[in-house]
Amino acid sequence: MSNPNHDKGEHYLTTPKAEPFLERLIFNNRAVILIGFLLLTAFLGYNAIKIQPDASFERMIPLEHPYVINMLEHRSDLENLGNFVRIAVEVKDGDIFSPEYMETLKQITDEVFYLDGVDRSGLKTLWTSNVRWVEVTEQGFQGGTVIPDNYDGSPASLEKLRQNILRSNEVGRLVSDNFKSTIVYAPLYEKNPETGKPLDYATFSRQLEEKIRDKYKAQNPNIDIHIVGFAKKVGDLIEGIGSIAWFAGITILLTTLLLFWYSRCITGTLVPVFTSIVAVFLQLGALRLLGYGLDPYSVLVPFLVFAIGISHGVQIVNAMAVEAGKGFDAETAARLAFRALYIPGMLALVSDAFGFLTLFFIEIDVIRDLAVAAGLGVAFVILTNLVLHVLIMSYLGISKGGIRHVQNHGEKEDRKWRLMSYFAHPGVAPISLLIAAIGLGLGVYYKQGLEVGDLDQGAPELRADSRYNVDNAYIINNYSTSADVLVVMVKTPIEQCTQYSVLRAMDSLQWELQNTPGVQSSASLADVSKIVTKALNEGNWKWYEISRNQTIINASIREAPSGLINTNCSLTPVLVFLEDHKAETLKTVVSAVEVFAKANSDENHTFLLGAGNAGVEAATNEVIANAKDMMLILVYSVVSLLCFATFRSIRAVLCIVIPLGLTSVLGEAIMAVSDIGIKVATLPVIALGVGIGVDYGIYIYSKLEKYLLEGKPLQEAYFETLRSTGKAVMFTGVTLGLGVVTWIFSPIKFQADMGFLLFFMFLWNMIGAIWLLPALARFLLRPDQMIAKARAVK
Amino acid sequence: MAKRLMCKTLGAACLGLSMIWSTPAAFALADIIDTPARQTDLAPVKLLNDAVRAGDRIVAVGERGHIIYSDDEGQTWVQGSVPVSVTLTAVDFGSETHGWAVGHSGVVLHTEDAGETWRLQLTGVDAAKLAIASKEEQIAAMEAQIEVAPESEKGDLEWALDDVVFTMENMQSDLDIGPVNPLLGVWFENDQRGFVVGAYGMILRTEDGGDTWSDWAPKIDNDRNFHLNNIAPMAGGALVIVGEAGQVHVSTDDGDTWERRESPYPGSLFGVTGTGKANEILAFGLRGNMLFSADLGESWRMVPNNAGATLNNGAVTDDGRITLVGNGGTVLMSDNGAESFKEYFRDDRAGVMSVVPVSGANLLIVGEAGVKMTDARGKNLQ
Repeated sequence: MSNPNHDKGEHYLTTPKAEPFLERLIFNNRAVILIGFLLLTAFLGYNAIKIQPDASFERMIPLEHPYVINMLEHRSDLENLGNFVRIAVEVKDGDIFSPEYMETLKQITDEVFYLDGVDRSGLKTLWTSNVRWVEVTEQGFQGGTVIPDNYDGSPASLEKLRQNILRSNEVGRLVSDNFKSTIVYAPLYEKNPETGKPLDYATFSRQLEEKIRDKYKAQNPNIDIHIVGFAKKVGDLIEGIGSIAWFAGITILLTTLLLFWYSRCITGTLVPVFTSIVAVFLQLGALRLLGYGLDPYSVLVPFLVFAIGISHGVQIVNAMAVEAGKGFDAETAARLAFRALYIPGMLALVSDAFGFLTLFFIEIDVIRDLAVAAGLGVAFVILTNLVLHVLIMSYLGISKGGIRHVQNHGEKEDRKWRLMSYFAHPGVAPISLLIAAIGLGLGVYYKQGLEVGDLDQGAPELRADSRYNVDNAYIINNYSTSADVLVVMVKTPIEQCTQYSVLRAMDSLQWELQNTPGVQSSASLADVSKIVTKALNEGNWKWYEISRNQTIINASIREAPSGLINTNCSLTPVLVFLEDHKAETLKTVVSAVEVFAKANSDENHTFLLGAGNAGVEAATNEVIANAKDMMLILVYSVVSLLCFATFRSIRAVLCIVIPLGLTSVLGEAIMAVSDIGIKVATLPVIALGVGIGVDYGIYIYSKLEKYLLEGKPLQEAYFETLRSTGKAVMFTGVTLGLGVVTWIFSPIKFQADMGFLLFFMFLWNMIGAIWLLPALARFLLRPDQMIAKARAVK
Repeated sequence: MAKRLMCKTLGAACLGLSMIWSTPAAFALADIIDTPARQTDLAPVKLLNDAVRAGDRIVAVGERGHIIYSDDEGQTWVQGSVPVSVTLTAVDFGSETHGWAVGHSGVVLHTEDAGETWRLQLTGVDAAKLAIASKEEQIAAMEAQIEVAPESEKGDLEWALDDVVFTMENMQSDLDIGPVNPLLGVWFENDQRGFVVGAYGMILRTEDGGDTWSDWAPKIDNDRNFHLNNIAPMAGGALVIVGEAGQVHVSTDDGDTWERRESPYPGSLFGVTGTGKANEILAFGLRGNMLFSADLGESWRMVPNNAGATLNNGAVTDDGRITLVGNGGTVLMSDNGAESFKEYFRDDRAGVMSVVPVSGANLLIVGEAGVKMTDARGKNLQ
């Protein structure tokens, strides 16, 4: 089993006796390198501070998916369809027919009218002149504005208003069924038609809060205000990114305390924290120079970078303290620590980075951005941790207290490690494996319930109890509306979008869909044509049908909402309102559309999927579902290959990778049980969990191997392993966990999900490495053969 | 010569029409009258335009070719098998098993098993061809008349001829598009004889259970081709057709001949019912307008009421209660033989198209929101 190409004479991970080239390069130019770091940090740090929040939603969707390609290609045609806010003004006591309520509503109408970004001509409230009632008379139509011409707040005019509302068909749309609230409907411009500037969602959302919600709730305590719409959601998300600053502060504080408790040395605490923060600044600065902003996903990467920096910094501090304890001065201790750690440290970090880079295969930009950001971060951690950190420590040294703390391998400590070394005992190991097998079985059983996509009601990005989702629930419960819309685009030759054949085909599709589970209702030009044809025939329901006569169709859609016909009449949408956005629902509906589209598209009309939030989500789910297995295979292959390259033994790879696999399965089971779907936010967690989780295994196994090669029996070798690195590994797990656990409190739901899952995976991977790895070693490793092999290469 | 003249004076219109004809009409989908109605649980909750009894069974028709029937007074429904997907507008049974339903694209559907399976008997294409043939006959007759008429009358006769020619050409151009016009009402005396009426003055009669149809429009005084909205029998044996522009036509010879009655209301009448008493007619329509006649339409009085909304249909129970239903959830009830009506507006405000009295003085109503079971006033039963 000898490998002729194997590097002769020295095992990969045993400490090199001589000064390696890198060590000489770094330690002989300490001042120059430190000044270099200072300049680099100043330059990139300056850029890091200027980095902007960026919630570009185009980056969160799979741009290469055909649905999204179709949507973006026809975006200008659908522009006015989806972007609006709805402000429900609710009266707490009484109903809307009071002069006070109507006065407040009027003021809100005026205020919204003047908000930057509102398409004023499309603004609709009880007070605008485009909200009308119509009645058929012998002479034709009769109608007027819903608000009576001579409205004066008197009981008589309020009664008139009530009658007009009942005649207006607006109940359920602009007025709630129970007359407790009405809607201010404000379509928005994506781009300001005068200045050409894109809508600033953050500002717009803030204005809604300040100028509408806060102002009028203060002014009229008897009202409540509920606001929904894409712009509001994006605004809330951007605002949510802001709260990250708090988490960063708390994380740094907690980590510092923990680090001090661990090292009992001010220098050994502050320097890793400082260098890790430097790594974060370098990463952010580089991101900005590469043209990235901070989106709600990549804003989490600095936490990871910080945690990784700390956890590897701990190894350095630990090693230096050990060396300093032997009486070496600061510089020599630093050199020896570097010599001992630069290979395993680099390997662990490189495997982290490779783990992240597998994310690059998912065709969603935010995930790729995440891969870039995390990859960059790890690259900088290698620099700051193995160079900057070591160099600073070589000047400052470890304090006496810190050295004493490390040397303090008291009986008590050893007794703990002794106890834990029984994980490698021939009697205990089978039990561990049995427990692991049961855990695996349970995990596999529960993870069957794992679903792709978002599982919660409302805006999935935000928490169920967030103000936005509470508002959304209010509006859904009180109005005939759904938040989940799939848009099927019907493409026709120019000026042909209103042909009978097109309307008939859309109507057939709609009926197909209304008979598909998960579809609540649908709307298209076909509905407009039917309802207006009925109205033009004196409101007689017997005429509720699409006329074959094009002249009648044309008359019936003359007043159709502009979003339903594009400028050259070559595109018209079918809006499909869904009961929810669960993956199963989306899949059923989308496949129904695809079957129909395939059978019924021709030169006159093609059915294209799919815009609307549900269309994008369906596309995203598809990409994620396809990417998931591929990504798992990749990340495990990469990690296995790296381990194999390091340890040259399949048995070693199994010892390290099996605990990771158990964590992955349990992680998926936990997702299933806590109703977290596989989505843009949680898919990366699997790669991150494996990529970072492998560090523990590498550190543990490399020590274990060392002691086994020294001829120690397994349990004894494992005891020594724990003594030397157990504490650092456990500490690493806790630091990594701490780095992400604060996200659980994020107002952004997917950040909380990511935090929760990463926390679990970091901790559980650590437990897997300490508990399961030795048990597996008991069955898989053949110390005799290992020693023979090591001798053979010598 | 007449035709050329038409196209000269109405050049723009002819051009417009020819543009419509030349539009390519390639259908990826089968035509709507060749597309069987989909079996769906939604049929009882979607638009239904008419409901009638067939023996103990209740049969209702509505949008998308829906025909549903219930053998338990409306508690549960079964969907019949229907070969078309057009909106159906009316249904009537000549016997317990033989029924006819009519609708858009001029379809007439026939069942021989009380509504379970339906066969397409006639389409708007057939109807239009019959109507065009009648017009051609009429044109030939008028041309013959002009030949022999004195010079002084020729001018007027030629104008009248032009009108008929124009009408026929419109029919022809409609036919080129397809079966464009809907049938709106149906009545069958037995399993052989019946009438269907519809848009633009369409009226056809059969005497052999729908195997052959005759264009009955020439027998109706409706030169301007106003819509005929409904047809119903009165107590005493008279038949009444109501329609657009206040039309009321009465036949006392089982439909062989018809007489137009003057009505005091110029707007659309959508429905007509007897009151249970011989020769009494109650006609109703737009904006709650209601006309009552005790002498088969020789004289009328308007019946005041507070409906406000269009009234679509009505029913009379054995004990003489008259219930009318209409748009905006309107239900009117009279227990004094149409002297006066009490109104009730249903909470959902959805249009009601038809009503069938059911056991326990309750009502089954159908309309915009599908089937609803209500009490005698129209309030939903819980």
